[in-house]
Amino acid sequence: MFKININSIIFIFKNLKKTFFSNLFNTIITLLIILFISAACFNTFAWLMFKANWKVVLSNLPLYAFGSFPPNEQWRPATWIITLLILSIFTLCGPEWKWLRKNLLKAWVGTIPLGIYLLYGGFGLSPIMSRHWGGLTLTILLTVCSSLLSLPFGILLALCRQSSLPLIQKLSSIYIDVMRAIPLIAVLFFGQLLIPLFLPLGIEIDRVWRAVFAFTLFVSAYIAEDIRGGLQSIPNTQVEAANSLGLNQYQVIQFILIPQALRIALPALTNQSIGLFQNTSLMAILGLVELLGVGRSILANPEFIGQYIEVYVWLACVYWIVCTIMAVLARHLEQRMTINKANF
Amino acid sequence: MKINQKIFLQFGICVIFFGLIGILINNLTINLTRTGLGFNFSWLFKPASFALAEHPLPYTSSDSYAWALFIGWLNSLKVIASSLILATFLGTLIGFTRAGKNSLLGLISAGYITIIRQTPLLLQLMFWYFVGFLGLKDNIFNISNQGIEFSGLIFSSEFLALLLGLSIFTSAYIAEVIRGGILSVPRGQWEAFRSLGLSERKGLISIILPQALPAIIPGLTSQYLNLAKNSTLAIAVGYSDIYAINDTIINQTGRAIECFIILLVSFLLLNLLITNTMEFINRLILKSRKYS
Amino acid sequence: MEPIVIAKNLTKSFTKGLRALDNVSLTVNQGKVLVVMGPSGSGKSTLIRTFNGLETFDKGELNVLGIKVDSTHDERKIQKIRRRVGMVFQQFNLFPHLSILENITLAPVQVQKRRQIEAEEYGMYLLSQMGVDSHAKKYPSQLSGGEQQRVAIARALALKPELLLFDEPTSALDPERIKEVLDAMRRLAEQGMTMIVVTHEIGFAKDVSDQVLFMDSGKVIETSPPNIFFSNAKNERSRKFLNQLDNHYSES
Ligand SMILES: Nc1ncnc2c1ncn2[C@@H]1O[C@H](COP(=O)(O)OP(=O)(O)O)[C@@H](O)[C@H]1O
Ligand SMILES: [Mg+2]
Repeated sequence: MFKININSIIFIFKNLKKTFFSNLFNTIITLLIILFISAACFNTFAWLMFKANWKVVLSNLPLYAFGSFPPNEQWRPATWIITLLILSIFTLCGPEWKWLRKNLLKAWVGTIPLGIYLLYGGFGLSPIMSRHWGGLTLTILLTVCSSLLSLPFGILLALCRQSSLPLIQKLSSIYIDVMRAIPLIAVLFFGQLLIPLFLPLGIEIDRVWRAVFAFTLFVSAYIAEDIRGGLQSIPNTQVEAANSLGLNQYQVIQFILIPQALRIALPALTNQSIGLFQNTSLMAILGLVELLGVGRSILANPEFIGQYIEVYVWLACVYWIVCTIMAVLARHLEQRMTINKANF
Repeated sequence: MKINQKIFLQFGICVIFFGLIGILINNLTINLTRTGLGFNFSWLFKPASFALAEHPLPYTSSDSYAWALFIGWLNSLKVIASSLILATFLGTLIGFTRAGKNSLLGLISAGYITIIRQTPLLLQLMFWYFVGFLGLKDNIFNISNQGIEFSGLIFSSEFLALLLGLSIFTSAYIAEVIRGGILSVPRGQWEAFRSLGLSERKGLISIILPQALPAIIPGLTSQYLNLAKNSTLAIAVGYSDIYAINDTIINQTGRAIECFIILLVSFLLLNLLITNTMEFINRLILKSRKYS
Repeated sequence: MEPIVIAKNLTKSFTKGLRALDNVSLTVNQGKVLVVMGPSGSGKSTLIRTFNGLETFDKGELNVLGIKVDSTHDERKIQKIRRRVGMVFQQFNLFPHLSILENITLAPVQVQKRRQIEAEEYGMYLLSQMGVDSHAKKYPSQLSGGEQQRVAIARALALKPELLLFDEPTSALDPERIKEVLDAMRRLAEQGMTMIVVTHEIGFAKDVSDQVLFMDSGKVIETSPPNIFFSNAKNERSRKFLNQLDNHYSES
């Protein structure tokens, strides 16, 4: 996506004349583009520096980050986000200590209970209801929890769809195909509306967890298809080799099929979680005050009315940065796990 | 596994599965009777009593819910079809510049693609609507309250914002599909047409593109399906598509289950329509290849 | 002498009418090496794959290591056989996501429930036997074909099998890599391992095998000791096949 590596830049400069000014047509186009870009840059710069009123962003930073989390407890979500950031940096350029590398996955999984504990409180921290959660914290929480829940569910669905038992295969196919046919907002909306209807009296799930549940139902259908693609590209000789070593059906699935399918599907899976991160913004129109929701509520405040551009540009930057971090992490992971295709 | 064992296992899973569904449905009926709603579709023929700003066919608030839903369907189709065309056009253009020879243009389209793909569609839609159409209403375009007049047709700002947002968002994905398709054609083919003295543009259109199409069509289909699903974000800018009308009806009548079923069926139909059309196009291409 | 494999009248067809195995009977005794030869598509792979249950058969009886299986293909008996029979494939079929050592310890730990450390020690011993112990930490894709195949042999040995099956173990290798694999197999035969080997390596068959079995169109055409088979084959078709093999080798 953003592979602008040094070599190609050097190449561009070396061939500056050849690529940009090879003939009259190209020269005109190049000049026009340069003119257009400089005008656009100049205007944007002028707007950013002089015209835009960044008070709407600067004075509301804690709101964007934590929503309406009580101010004197905001160190809790802050701790969580900083932990995630440090872990990302460490994963990308940390030292190669073996035991640390081995426990990195555990550390990542561990951030979820840590986050939930820090947000909910209890055990020594003052409890805080989920309706006070918001901003980037909530966006990240929704993304992380839903991704992690939909992975096992997606694997299960993919295995069922590949199963030799016709009934199970049919049921999971129907589920996957239907889920993939309906729009996410419908799943989220009806998740909010219908989940309470399907639960017995007296049991209630709050809005955040209903959203996580709906996201999980939706994303796992997509993940299932990605994993199925991976499963299908594993040659049958792998299963035969495992069988001839005496591994039974379940051991073959556990030790041979799932690990290989996950590696093959890794790029698709990371794209799913980046997509999920962006799609959590839909909850803004379904009653959660996550990052985009905070933007909307600030814009509804009479003090900041009409400052759409500033808020949207700011939000776009935040989303873009987090997506980019996720994409870079994903690519790093892929490179670490690359297995030679020739081996299949 | 032995056959007996298989049947037994399936039977067991079925019992668990349908038992679970039974419990859920039981809870549902209890909850529905408690709220006094029940489950039926007869309300569809009662007057809707809400107004729709946008209706391609005559509609008044005394028309039935069913008719309102049909209008919503038409509105959805309208925005999906027009953004599909615009997105394909934009996406192809950007895809070509991305794969093309001019590195500066390539760099710009790469930038366009990352900005569009790394920000949420909903945010983009809101941006186009509130900034692009409502914000600039008075100064730049001379937009009347009804919308923009374009050779006799009047388009509402809701429709235009949605059209623009969806097209731009989808075009970034289509551009990647097109680029992937072009890159899937072996380099030798480029050298071959250049050595024949064909111009760059002619070679691209008559040599490269036909060979890239088989790789492009499936990707395009899935982008079109995504576009159709994404069009339901219309609700964020207040355009009355099928989802928005379902939403209004639920708020009025509380008929969540029925509306969910209606929406489900609508989208299954829409998906069938798109996949079948694309398959038809695919077959046409394959056929025209065979004879050429 | 104890028989390890007894096959009686094995018959199998994948598609109706075409028999991949046609009334195949054979016996392999402990410590013996049987080489199976025949043109491509004659049913060699199908035959040795029935011995560890990778293929089923339609008619006949099979007794491997005293465990009897018939056409019902009892899953539990097959499982018992597989724990005592090793197999080496033409395409190596190592697990690409596991390191060399993990490839070898997977089955002992998961199937035989041995301790990880113990399995690793024995795995390293096997790797050094095969001369690839320096690659233990690497992944299959980082090894040459010959090295991969020697790892595959070590993997098959890790369960301490009583019978080893080889399906054209050197056919996918570069000519200069074939020798290192054949040498490893020779050493195994010297140690008294019972082996059934599908191969076209005449030199190996002459030196190592006790019997050569020649197949065509799913039938056993001839079973002879190697000195007779290669100098004075009884059957017309065997001679023709050997002639073609000779031509092929003198060409290349
Ligand atoms: N999985 C299969 N499905 C259908 N036919 C098969 C299959 N495996 C092998 N055959 C057929 O069985 C016959 C014997 O094949 P095989 O045992 O692989 O021969 P060889 O190993 O001697 O080359 C061939 O005619 C082949 O086409
Ligand atoms: Mg074979």
